[in-house]
Amino acid sequence: MSPSLSYDLIVIGSGPAGQKAAIQGAKSGQRVALIEQNREVGGACVYQGTIPSKTLRESALQMVQFLHATDVFEFRLRDDVKIATLMTRLNTVVRAHGAFMAEQIARNGINRLHGRAQFVSDREILVRHVDGTTTTIVGNIVVIATGSRPRIPDHIPIDHEHILDSDSILSLVYLPKSLTVLGGGVIASEYASIFALLGVQVTMIDTADRPLKFLDPELTDQFRAAFEKTGGRYRGQRKIQSAAWDGFSKVITRLENEETLESEKMLVALGRVANIEHLTIQAAGLTPTPRGLIAVNDHCQTLVPHIYAVGDVIGPPSLASCSMEQGRRAICHALGLHPGDAPEHIPMGIYTIPEMSSVGLSEQDAVEKFGGVLIGRARFHEIARGQISGMTNGLLKMVADAKGEKLLGVHIVGEGATELIHIGQLGLLHDMPIDRFIDNIFNFPTLAEAYRVAALDIAKHRRKL
Amino acid sequence: MVLTATVPTPQEEREALRTRLTSQLEQGALDLPLLPVVAHQVLQLSGDPDADANRLSALIQQDQALAGHILRIANSAAYLPRSPIVSLQQAVSWLGMNMLAGLAFSVSIQSGVFLITGYEKEIRRLWAHALATGLYGKEIARRLRHNVENAFLCGLLHTIGKPVLLHLLLRSPSNQDSPPSWTVLEPLIQDCHISAGTKIAEAWQLPYPVQEAIRLYPDDSYQQATSPTKGAIITCLADHFASYGLASSSPDEEALRALPVIQDLNFYPDDIDALFALRESIQQSVEAFLV
Repeated sequence: MSPSLSYDLIVIGSGPAGQKAAIQGAKSGQRVALIEQNREVGGACVYQGTIPSKTLRESALQMVQFLHATDVFEFRLRDDVKIATLMTRLNTVVRAHGAFMAEQIARNGINRLHGRAQFVSDREILVRHVDGTTTTIVGNIVVIATGSRPRIPDHIPIDHEHILDSDSILSLVYLPKSLTVLGGGVIASEYASIFALLGVQVTMIDTADRPLKFLDPELTDQFRAAFEKTGGRYRGQRKIQSAAWDGFSKVITRLENEETLESEKMLVALGRVANIEHLTIQAAGLTPTPRGLIAVNDHCQTLVPHIYAVGDVIGPPSLASCSMEQGRRAICHALGLHPGDAPEHIPMGIYTIPEMSSVGLSEQDAVEKFGGVLIGRARFHEIARGQISGMTNGLLKMVADAKGEKLLGVHIVGEGATELIHIGQLGLLHDMPIDRFIDNIFNFPTLAEAYRVAALDIAKHRRKL
Repeated sequence: MVLTATVPTPQEEREALRTRLTSQLEQGALDLPLLPVVAHQVLQLSGDPDADANRLSALIQQDQALAGHILRIANSAAYLPRSPIVSLQQAVSWLGMNMLAGLAFSVSIQSGVFLITGYEKEIRRLWAHALATGLYGKEIARRLRHNVENAFLCGLLHTIGKPVLLHLLLRSPSNQDSPPSWTVLEPLIQDCHISAGTKIAEAWQLPYPVQEAIRLYPDDSYQQATSPTKGAIITCLADHFASYGLASSSPDEEALRALPVIQDLNFYPDDIDALFALRESIQQSVEAFLV
């Protein structure tokens, strides 16, 4: 064991939350150690989560567009090019992003330690290196940013060969003929729609009556219609009794209503669990919550004042964008720096096919809060750009107060939704009246024009009041 | 004048063979054995997403010897059937499609191309190592949560060059009355097997990740591999574990733990402990697989 080393700040985990915490610390003049159990920095976001799934999605979309072009241009893709090409591109993007992040950490003078962290006390941390050696370090401030991993339900034998989780599905080298997806959340819906687009016969199974239950029903209805158009099926309000590889050629899924489903592969996407098992947080005076998370206050501060926790280990919203901000703000709080105003309107982006995005209040929340609302809708097939780009199944829904004057929320389904949402976000941040969207000019033809169409729809309803 | 016949030393004999073999390899003048028909069909079926179990089952039933081996393996201790396996269809159901494909491929190669009289024991040892590498490869991939399916075939075939070389050396004309001893052949085969394996992998049109694993699995080259399946690095560690798992004397666990490939795979001591714990079950499976 090497002698103890002292740091101003120790960050455990190098995903989006940990990385931003470490960089904020370094930029504030702190001596920073960043502990990462993997060889590469970036965490699950880079290697198993956000970056790979979005790259796969983008590649799948491009490939399908390319395949459609064979109707116009005289060329043909080899059948076996498909998945190999997707995975190679995935590898390239992931490596490039990982290298960029490593360079950023090095540039900021952050000391990286490769190993698993374990609390010895509230300030002392033992790092177990991959070769079995250990290092002990001491820090004035500690940030836990160890992220999460796919949850493995007790009754489903995930073998990463036939029954996969959201990590192992990324290493498929061929497209299965059929795929059962357990779950109806973000990860399940994203992968289900990607594989359905690629021609895999996908069946989603979940207890909820519709996928992505937390989103506006008009968005999820559109998503479900698009998913079913590619051959996908959503089987809601169903509970799994058992799922197992039959030992031969298929995964057999038995539901509690006695239905039986068969598929070549299965993806289990039933939530994630926080990575805290190696940390022994009890040694630092902390106790995990009943859900296995670390409890924090508004500043991401735990019950031990100099220990902070950020990102997936503290639970929802578990968005990379929020995790980064949590990391930065936690360090500002710890160092007594002004972190800026707390973010009010955080957009949510779901990278399904088609994309969905949401910011502000939903129609239902707005009704509950204000008693009434006016809704404006713009369908992409009414927008010139939607027609030009062949994006005819999109919808932008604007939620305004009961008088139709104040913007309360924006919800979008359709390609480009996750980019388009930021106009609504800025509108909300600046309390922009609905009429401002009508009075101003947007580029033509663009999907941004949908904001004007939706605002005009609200104005039309307003006149009827 | 008395004429005396000079008997070459093992070193001289090995060097003569090496010269001949190197020349053949450099000229690309290898007379590579053809992939047995059944193995070829099994390989095609296992790589065909539209293939179904019935086609594989039908294929196996065409080959009496293969069907017999499948029945024997399904009944072995490694697979612990709940009740005796009495029919091929039952065996097929018990073993599973992927295991069956790997097994059928392995059995048909072992019994077809590389039956070399006088070297049965050595050939059996080579196959035991290859099979153990395939089985360890699957478990390593499972711990990485990364493409378990590809790992078995990469491991099974990573030393395919060895029986190929033996086959070639013994078919080549020689001045010797008796075939060279294994002591003479083994270092030569060890030195040249990757080059031969690479050529046969190309000739047999094995899947690219498998070709890459054969070419780049050694400790000093797996980092050059680019396939996202990680077949080369997984096979590298699996190869070491296969040597450990099949060693008759007490293997050196500490030397295994110190391998750079373990750190490159980011395997912590508990990951390695889990692989050590598989030794007995893998030994049983290997025994079951061998023809």
